[in-house]
Parts: sequence; C-alpha cells; structure tokens
Amino acid sequence: MTRDDIFSALKRNMTDIIESTRGKEILESHRMLGDFQADSLEVVEVISRTMKQLKTKIPRTRLNEAKNIGDLLDMFMAAQVSARSGSGAS
Amino acid sequence: MSRGRGGAVVITGMGVITTLGDDLEKFFAALMAGRSGIGYFEKIDPRVAARVGGDLSSYSLEDCLRRQPGQVPTVVIDRLRRLVKSSPLSTQLNAACALQAFRHAGLFEASMDPGRLGHVLGGHNLTISYLLENARTFEEEPEFIEPLLGLQAWDTDVLSVTSEVLGVRGPSFLVGGACASSNVAVMTALDLLRSGRADAVLVSGAPMDLSSLLLQACVLIEAVSFRSFNDQPERASRPFDARREGFIPSHGAGALVLETEAHAEQRGARAWATVLGASCASAASRHAKPNFESQLAAISGALADAAIRPTDVDYVNAHATSTPLGDAVEVAALKQALGRRAWEIPINSTKSMIGHALTAASAIELIATVLQMTHGRVHPTINQEEPDPELGLDFVPNVGRPHGIRIALSNAFGFGGLNSSVVVGAP
Repeated sequence: MTRDDIFSALKRNMTDIIESTRGKEILESHRMLGDFQADSLEVVEVISRTMKQLKTKIPRTRLNEAKNIGDLLDMFMAAQVSARSGSGAS
Repeated sequence: MSRGRGGAVVITGMGVITTLGDDLEKFFAALMAGRSGIGYFEKIDPRVAARVGGDLSSYSLEDCLRRQPGQVPTVVIDRLRRLVKSSPLSTQLNAACALQAFRHAGLFEASMDPGRLGHVLGGHNLTISYLLENARTFEEEPEFIEPLLGLQAWDTDVLSVTSEVLGVRGPSFLVGGACASSNVAVMTALDLLRSGRADAVLVSGAPMDLSSLLLQACVLIEAVSFRSFNDQPERASRPFDARREGFIPSHGAGALVLETEAHAEQRGARAWATVLGASCASAASRHAKPNFESQLAAISGALADAAIRPTDVDYVNAHATSTPLGDAVEVAALKQALGRRAWEIPINSTKSMIGHALTAASAIELIATVLQMTHGRVHPTINQEEPDPELGLDFVPNVGRPHGIRIALSNAFGFGGLNSSVVVGAP
C-alpha cells in the first residue's frame, strides 16, 4: 500500500469522524488535535478505524510520538514494512 | 397528592420505540387495533432455539430523526447523530426515544435549569450482543476492537450519551431490576422529585440489544416460548391464555419525563398523568420463579404509597409475560391485593402485542397505560383463544373497548424476585 493510499484512508476517516475537517484541505503538516479541534476520543477513533481497515498495527505506545499527520503516515508505512519482514508491529 | 417538599409529580412527556411504532399515535393505534409486532430476530445465531421476537435490529435511526417535528433544534439532532454513530443499538434507541419524550414535554422550548433536570435510566446488561461481537474481534486481533469500547462497555454510556444529547446536568444514574428496571426507575425518579433534589427527571426505559447468547440462556431455563408457535410468531405471546408457554423477547425503548406539578404548571406544560405512588419488594430469592408474597407486597405497597384503596383502581396493566406460572401468580396476587375489585376492572397485557422488552418493558407499559387513560379506551390482550379456567378475570380478550380510567396500576416483576408496581392517576 502506498503512502497516498494510507493518506486517503486517514482523510476519509477524519472527514467522517471529525466534523471540523469537512470541506477543508487536510495536509500532512496538520495536527488533528491542534488544527481541527478534534477531541482525544475522535483521534483514537480515526486511528483505530484506519488501522483496522488497512489491517495494520501501530504500537499504541508509539502513537503519542506523532506530532502531525505526516508522522502518523510514517508510522503506518513503517508498520507495513515491519509486518512484511515478519518482525510484527507490536 | 402532595408528598415531601417536591409536591405532586406528573408525567409531562413520553416517547416510545417499539415494533408497533416509534411515535405515540402510531403505537396507541396499533395497540387498539390488536396488531402483533412479533416476528423473527434477523441477526440471531440459527442454532438458537428461540428465534421468535420483536426485532428492531434493522431500525432506521435516520428515518426516526427525519420525522421529528420542528421543535427539536437541529443542533440537538446533529449531536445525537454524531454521538451514536458508532454506538450499540441500545445507545441509539435510548437516545432517540428520550429525545421524543423531551420534545413531547416541550423541554426544548423551556428555559429550565439543566442542573435541576435529572436522568434515571432503568436497565443493565444493555449491550451484551455488542460486547460479544467485540469479544470475537478480540480473539482475531485485540487491536481491532471498537475504538470506544472502553466507554461503551459500560451501561452508563447509554445514559451519558442521552444526557449529552439533551444537556441533562442534574442527578443521573442507572437503576437495575431486571424486567422491573423501568418501574424501579420511575419509583426512584418519584423519590428524587418528592425530596426536592430535582424539578424534572427523565426516565429512560433502556433497551437491551438481545444477543444470541442471552436468548439461548433463556431457552435453557425455559423462560421463553420456543415450542409451539415458531411458524406463527404473531400467536406466540399469549398472556393468560391456556396455551401460553413462555415470554417473547423484544427490542423496545420507552422514555418519560416526570416533573413536579409546580414546575410543570410554572412553565405551562401539559400533565398527561399524575404519578401517585410506587413500590418495589424483593422475594429474597435469586430464582426466576414468581413469588406471590413479594408481588403482593409490591402491589399493596404502591397502593399505600399512593394513599388509595383497592376499590379506587380502574384498570391494571399487568406484567403478564405469557409464562404459565408467572401469569397465574400475578393474577393470584391481584385478586388478593384488590379483592372483589379485581373481578370488576379490565386487566390487559401490552406484551401480548409487543412481546417482552425486558428492561424497557415497564416504561413502555406505563406509557401504554397513560395513553389508554388519556383516550378513555383499553387495548385488547390478543391471542385469547382458550381461556385458562384458573385465572377468570377480564383480560380484555382480543378486542379493545371504551373504558374511563381515573386510577391505574402497572406491574413489573423481574428475575431474582424483584417486584414493582406504579400507580398513576388522571391529571
């Protein structure tokens, strides 16, 4: 799965769950909490739904290291590589 | 009558979601017509022996919200949509039903102090089906369980979502009494209002999402009907009839707004009925078997709390689940509690048409009671084909009729010997 595929899935879930993202451009530099006034539960929902849809696991302990959406995409990409190499993501 | 510093308590709003309709008019018309809302559960494991029931698993919340008249602010509808989007069926139905009761009470136009508005939810174990689905997901991959399960696993989430939708900020909590839950919630709300802790209390008769597991468990203890009427589900719920063989589970929700008479008058709200009294009693038994003494204590306790005599009662909405022993014991308790009056008044079973909505049942049935009182008509008990000679009261067999009601009694009895009764009067 390409970075664009992951970004599309993430954007779809953000638009679905975080009202304030609707009709707005979502960039890799955006922060869900800071730029879209999402609450913490909405962020959990967006990330969990994306993980489930993409069948990809990011270790929960690492999620708070993501400063913006770009960082999150990096983590999804890394998780894919990790899963392919058989080392597991968690 | 006036009790405590809160004074008399009235019902100012009601809402229902049942297989016979999700607004008061449709619901009452269907009851009077003697329609059955019983069919089959669509999403139950085919191995479960009991598939007959009142199924709302495909209920369209969107259709319900679109039909809400203009008195509901758009911001409230949008908040409900957002909050219940990924919630269990119980949370969705409870919130939509409470919204109807709120609208019916005119509370969206009222400027009441939200801190003086309470919320008592009758029910527990509301989301077993949802939890089991997540347990299956967990077995496959723990990371992929529902993201908000940490909140939704608690029954309090059903209450809290509804409270957030409606902006309830006063005393709020759950009370549980198995199939008596909603009557116990009404009693608790009555106490909150009488004591002056609140000016109005929303009572949610919360729906259970009815899992395959729970239905099969009810088959094992032979509480539900699963033998003779599998091909004719509409005939399966037959309280008082000689061929009754168990209750018919159903989805359903009921919500009421209880309010001090003084507060209702102050804001010009219409009172649909007065809550005169309520009581609950325990049989000191974990058994599902009905207990005559405890049912008698609940009925007599409610009459005493309402300070009325048995001869004042004009109508009884019976618990009457269609179990062989349960109906017989309730009839015996009514005969003992009401004496000759039991033979003089109509006693019917709403469950004959909508089945047993378990935790929500007594809220729905109290609403059915108030609607009958308002319209001066009693609905039939359907499927009365072979009278049980042991019972012998007027169960309003198959056809409803005009009947003036000044005072009504509504019973609800739960597993574990939890018995309760509520008395309401015409306003």
